[in-house]
Amino acid sequence: MAASFANTQVSGKVANRQVAQGRVAPFRATGVRKTAGTQIPSFYFAGVSVHQRVIAVSGARSVSRAVQTVFAVKDGAVLEGRKLRVAVIGGGPSGACAAETLAKGGVETFLIERKLDNCKPCGGAIPLCMVEEFDLPLEIIDRKVTKMKMISPSNREVDVGKTLSETEWIGMCRREVFDDYLRKRAEKLGASVLNGLFMRSEQQGTDGPFTIHYTSFADGSKMGTPATLEVDMIIGADGANSRIAKEIDAGEYDYAIAFQERIRIPEDKMKYYENLAEMYVGDDVSPDFYGWVFPKYDHVAVGTGTVVNKTAIKQYQQATRDRSKVKTEGGKIIRVEAHPIPEHPRPRRCKGRVALVGDAAGYVTKCSGEGIYFAAKSGRMCAEAIVEGSANGTKMAGEDAIRVYLDKWDRKYWATYKVLDILQKVFYRSNPAREAFVELCEDSYVQKMTFDSYLYKTVVPGNPLDDVKLLVRTVSSLIRSNALRSANSKSVNVSFGSKANEERVATA
Amino acid sequence: MQSALLNRSCGAAFKATRPNACSRSVVVVRATAEAVVEKKERRLSPLERGGTLSGDQAAGKDAGEKARAMATGTTGAATLLQIVDGRFVDDRWIGGRWDLNQFKDSKGEVDWDKVIDAEVARRKLLEESPIPSINEDPVNFDTSEIPWWAWVRRFHLPEAEKLNGRAAMMGYVLALFVDSLTGAGLLEQQESFLGKVALHICVFAILLVRTSSDLDKYKGLIDEATFYDKQWNATWDGVKRPSEAESQ
Repeated sequence: MAASFANTQVSGKVANRQVAQGRVAPFRATGVRKTAGTQIPSFYFAGVSVHQRVIAVSGARSVSRAVQTVFAVKDGAVLEGRKLRVAVIGGGPSGACAAETLAKGGVETFLIERKLDNCKPCGGAIPLCMVEEFDLPLEIIDRKVTKMKMISPSNREVDVGKTLSETEWIGMCRREVFDDYLRKRAEKLGASVLNGLFMRSEQQGTDGPFTIHYTSFADGSKMGTPATLEVDMIIGADGANSRIAKEIDAGEYDYAIAFQERIRIPEDKMKYYENLAEMYVGDDVSPDFYGWVFPKYDHVAVGTGTVVNKTAIKQYQQATRDRSKVKTEGGKIIRVEAHPIPEHPRPRRCKGRVALVGDAAGYVTKCSGEGIYFAAKSGRMCAEAIVEGSANGTKMAGEDAIRVYLDKWDRKYWATYKVLDILQKVFYRSNPAREAFVELCEDSYVQKMTFDSYLYKTVVPGNPLDDVKLLVRTVSSLIRSNALRSANSKSVNVSFGSKANEERVATA
Repeated sequence: MQSALLNRSCGAAFKATRPNACSRSVVVVRATAEAVVEKKERRLSPLERGGTLSGDQAAGKDAGEKARAMATGTTGAATLLQIVDGRFVDDRWIGGRWDLNQFKDSKGEVDWDKVIDAEVARRKLLEESPIPSINEDPVNFDTSEIPWWAWVRRFHLPEAEKLNGRAAMMGYVLALFVDSLTGAGLLEQQESFLGKVALHICVFAILLVRTSSDLDKYKGLIDEATFYDKQWNATWDGVKRPSEAESQ
């Protein structure tokens, strides 16, 4: 009788079967109330005695007040009659690639994206290896950039890209087209794409499922309707202002503010930018980043960014426009946009069964600010770890599986991130350092190393003798540039340590 | 032949004649000796005589450019380090680089100090008022055109002098100190291994730590070098990495 009582109270066939087969870890109710005279039913689950909180028992009549039964499933336990359910919040490159890999791996995937035609402010550059690794069709690439010009504070121009072969290029794409393609592909493979805005989530106990509350825009209305979704795991792929990160207390990170104006310029000026992108470095353009002119499909994007002095971003933008004034003369601004770019990973990239990927985790490189490839790759790696940890969706997976992905990620890409960090710390410190940077980029060995590591995402150790020569050239270039700095120069020195932003900038 | 000339001139150098129809005693002395004179140029003006140097030898002793231009009335007003119409203009800046021929000194060798000065001034000017980058006006000047010894002579030697002085003073004081402690004189100190080590430490410390602010600078550098690593490892606080757990 006791057993049948438990059965009637529990809703859901699945839980029934789980209870019956005794493979469910019981939820320990806190504070068992002993009603006098009533025998408190205790059941044996997997050899462990458990008290279920019973409010009132009266014969055959079932209790109206809630009996707390929770379908907590421990990590590694086999899921009976259903697949693992994972919600991916955010449908950008990281979310879409995660959803794709999950769906391919046999996991029930829900991809929640708030704006299916979102035009995220972005440089839009994707490296060559991404096209191959993610099977991207060449149609979504608007332009193939093969020349990159770096322009120093004293307008010394260096053409980086002399060492590229005909088959090597940097792809420029439109984010709305790119993201849409990846989402549709995930959908084709079995993920459910839901148009909605994530509001909050609750987990029922440490091993229980998550209830996601989101505003669904499926009906096409502007306001949307509240909806809920129950899942076992969550992947937070919702970008730099991630709500999932807030939910799991992932911590804050430093971020740069990137500001960009899209300008439509006359045909003849556009010809110059046909497959050329420009990078302007200098104090006037940004104290710790660079200004850029990137060609889009029929216009150029002129922008800049900064970490330490975000309030002056409009000044920096003006300076960037001034420096590229002659080359973009007669242009018309068609759009102004800004977005934060994370500078380093968040202190906590996972908690329990929630993982962060992409910009939400903070996987943007320093020095170049590249994020798309790493977002997509982290989404894929996280999904792969979940698929493996759950044996293709048949078992429950948890923090251990997610930490496998974090460890793999750290080990694989740490060198790349560190090298770019060193480059930023050495060459973005001051105007002389930037002059030295541009001077060094003239060298074809440097260009080859740079492009190899950017296009193929591997830190390739070159010839040791050439490396030593490069080191000597670097040091001598830096010494010369610093010597050429005027004694009463008003330019600033920026440091990149743990000090607060205001303390990191100092006049020379 | 010269002596014959002399005799003749001596003999008949002066001829006193009495002009005709003149009763009073007026003697006109006329030099009739024919001195052989080489064909000479027109004689030098006062401005060119008396210790005046000319040409190359006078170079550097002129007044400044502006004064000279004013005096000669030439308005070949040298444009120096100006930004005109959003372009950098200077007489010596040709084709996007410093024309080294215009920096040649009196001996015909390039005065690298002047080149360095010009580049410093150009960079400062462009730092203060940035100009747009123009395709038709590329900058082709590379600082490695200036030879290494020019850099050393200009920037390193003054500093080296100071540092050598400091190292010598510190070394002497330390040697005195060690002598008072151990009784070992200068040469004995040099022979011991510890002495040599101490000497090296002293010299390198002087090189690296020039002022007390250098210590802060190095602390800052160490912080910068390790900060990013700390940020990346934050998520592993208190948790072992799977790869580490396996290897154990």
